[in-house]
Amino acid sequence: MSRTVRKFSSKNWFFKVLAAVLPGALLVCGLMGLVGVLCHTDGSPRSASGQYLMWMGALLWSALLSVCFLFRSGVQAWGVLIVANGVVWGLFVLLRSVLS
Amino acid sequence: MKLRADFVQLYRDVHSWVGIVAGLFLFVAFYAGAVTMFEEPLQSWASAPVGLPPPVSLEQTPALLEKALAAYPEARDDYTIAVTPEDAQRGRLTWDGSGGQVHHAPTQVMAAGLDAQGNLVVVPKTPSEAAHFVDVLHQQVGLPLPHTPAMLVMGVVALLYAVALVSGVIAYLPALVKTLFAVRLGQSVRKRWLDMHNLLGLFSLPFHLVMAISSVVFAFHGQIFAVEHMLFPGSAAGQHGGMHGGGHGGGGHAGGRGGHGGGPDGGRRAQGEAQAPQSAVSSGSADHVPGVPPQPHDTQADVQHGGASGEGVPLVTGAASASAAPVPSPVPVPVSAPVLAPTEILTIMAQRAPGFVPEVLNYMQLGHGKDVVRVFGHDARYPTRGPTGGFVVLNSHTGAVQSGEYLPGHQPAKFAILTTFFALHFGSFGGTPVRWGYVVLGLGGAFLFYTGNQLWIVSRRRRERESGLVVETRGTKLLAALTSGCTTGCVAGISAVFCAVALLPYGGTYGAVSTVYYSVFCVFVVAAFCLPGQRSIRLLLAAAGAVTACVPLMLCLHGAHLLRTPEGLGVALMAGLLGVFLLASAAKHTREI
Repeated sequence: MSRTVRKFSSKNWFFKVLAAVLPGALLVCGLMGLVGVLCHTDGSPRSASGQYLMWMGALLWSALLSVCFLFRSGVQAWGVLIVANGVVWGLFVLLRSVLS
Repeated sequence: MKLRADFVQLYRDVHSWVGIVAGLFLFVAFYAGAVTMFEEPLQSWASAPVGLPPPVSLEQTPALLEKALAAYPEARDDYTIAVTPEDAQRGRLTWDGSGGQVHHAPTQVMAAGLDAQGNLVVVPKTPSEAAHFVDVLHQQVGLPLPHTPAMLVMGVVALLYAVALVSGVIAYLPALVKTLFAVRLGQSVRKRWLDMHNLLGLFSLPFHLVMAISSVVFAFHGQIFAVEHMLFPGSAAGQHGGMHGGGHGGGGHAGGRGGHGGGPDGGRRAQGEAQAPQSAVSSGSADHVPGVPPQPHDTQADVQHGGASGEGVPLVTGAASASAAPVPSPVPVPVSAPVLAPTEILTIMAQRAPGFVPEVLNYMQLGHGKDVVRVFGHDARYPTRGPTGGFVVLNSHTGAVQSGEYLPGHQPAKFAILTTFFALHFGSFGGTPVRWGYVVLGLGGAFLFYTGNQLWIVSRRRRERESGLVVETRGTKLLAALTSGCTTGCVAGISAVFCAVALLPYGGTYGAVSTVYYSVFCVFVVAAFCLPGQRSIRLLLAAAGAVTACVPLMLCLHGAHLLRTPEGLGVALMAGLLGVFLLASAAKHTREI
C-alpha cells in the first residue's frame, strides 16, 4: 500500500485467482507441513494437532484467495507464490530432516 | 477510516461478482440449514409409527436381546439399544438390515420387541427420509449430485462465500459505519435493499465467518487429511494417535451427517451418529470418499484391522485399537463372554459423567476382547461435537473408557476447543435459545443472499436505464428470473416435502421426497423464466407462501402430537409466519428500479 503510484484493479483477476488456487494451495500445504513439523504432529485425523492443521489450512487458503486480487498482475501473483512455495517447501524438507 | 478509492472499488467488484456466483447456492444452503434445526422433531413426526408391542423396560432388555440375537445372528456385530422412552417407542432394539445405505434407498432398519407372552416380534422399520433429505440439501447446497462432486462444488461455494465476506467488509464497512442504522424504507428500492443487506450482513458477520470457514473444512477435510498423511508419513498413527484415542469426528462433516441424519428413532440415529466416528477414522485412510459414511461391515473391517495389527498400519485404526492407551489394556476376554447389560452401562455412565444423558447405546462386536459400546447422548451444560450430542466409547465387557475425547464436559482442552468450532456450526450449545437463534440467523442469512442478488439486479437495471437502454439486457433478465425462481422454488419445495409426507408411503423415501422437491423447484424456475417479469415474481411469492402456509395445517392434520412439543409448536408458528410474510410480499411487491 506504500506505493501510491500503483493502482488496484480487478483486471487480470483470472490469472491472479488461478495463482491463488494452484500454487496457492500448494503453498498452504507447505505451510501446513512447516507448522506440523514444528509442532511434531503426526497428521493423523484423530490427533488434535492434525485437526488444528486442517482448520489452519482452510483459514489460510480462504485468506489467500481473498487477498490475491492485490497482486499487480497475474504474472506477479504466480511469481511471488512460486518463490514462496520454494522457500516454504525448502524449509519444510530441511526442518523435517533435521528434526526427525 | 479512509481507504484508497481504487482499493475499495476493487473489492466492490470482487464482492458483487463472487456474491452473484455463490448467492443462490448459499440461499438454499442457509434456508435448508435453518430447517435442519428441527430435523429431529420433523423426522419423528414424519415417520410412520412402528408396529411393535410397547417396549420392554431396560431391565428386561437382556431377555429381548437374547431372543433376538438367537433368531438374527447377523445383528450380533452391530445393534442398538434405545434408552429414552420416546426413542424406545420406535423399537428398543434395532439393527441395520440394509448394509448402511444412506442415499437413494429406503433404509432398512429392523426393530424388535417382546409381546405380552414374551415372544419375539421383529418388524422392518423404514423411517421417513424427509428431514434427512433437507439435511442433504443443506450440505450439497441444493444440488442433486452424487455426494463427492456435490462436496467439491460446495467447497468452491464455501470459498467464494469466504471471499465475499472479506471483500464485503473491506468494501463497505468504512461507508457503512456512517449509515449503519439508516434503513431508508421510503426512498428508492435500491437503497432499501442496500440498507437491509448491510444491516443483516454486519450484524451476522461473526456467524457467517464461522459458517464459511467450517464449510470449507467440511468440504475438503478428506483431501486435507490425505495431504497431511503425505506430509507426515513417517509417524506411526498408533504412537501418537493412541493417546488421543479413536472414534472422533476428524471430519466435521461426518459428524454433521451422522447427527443430522438421525432423528429420534433410536436405531436410525444411533447408526447415523455411529457413522460419524467411523467415517472420521476412515477418512484418514483416504480409502473412503471423504464425508461418506462407510458401510458398517466395511468400517468394522477397518477397526478390526487396526486392532489386530496395531502400529504397523498408519492411520487405519479404529476406535477400539486407538483407544487402548488411556486405560490399561483390558485383559483379553473370551469372545463368548457376556457384554454388560444396558442398565449396567447406564450405571457406569452415571458414575463417570454425572449430568450426561445417554440416549442410545450402540454395541459393536470387534473380537479380541475389544468389543465396544458407543454411548451417545448430550449434556445440556456443554457444547457437543455433533449436531445433537457427543459420545463415549466403552469396552462392552469391562466398561473401561476406550475413548472419551468427545464426551461433553470431559474433553481435554484442545479437543474441547475443536468441539467449539463444530458446535458453532451446528448450534449445538446453549440449548433451545441458541437453536432458535440459529434458525433466525439461518433465515436471516438466506434473506441476506436474496437482498444481495436483488441489489445486483436493481443496480444493473438502473445503469442500463441511464445508458439509454429501453429493454434490460439478457444477463439482467436471466439473473432476475433465476433469483426469483430458485429462492421461491427452494422455499416452496421444502414446504411441499413436508406437506407431502402424509401422503407418501413410509413418510417419504429418499427418492420420493427428492422427486417432490425437485419437481416443485423446477416448476418454479421454469415459471420464473416463462412468465413476464412483474407478474411472475408476485405469482411465485404467492404460490410459495400458500404452500408454506399449508405446512402448519398438515402438521395439525397428520399427527398433531408434534404440536404438543415446544419445537413442534415453534415449527408450525415459523412456517405460518413465513407463509404470511411471503403472501404479504406478493401483495405488496413493486417493481424495483
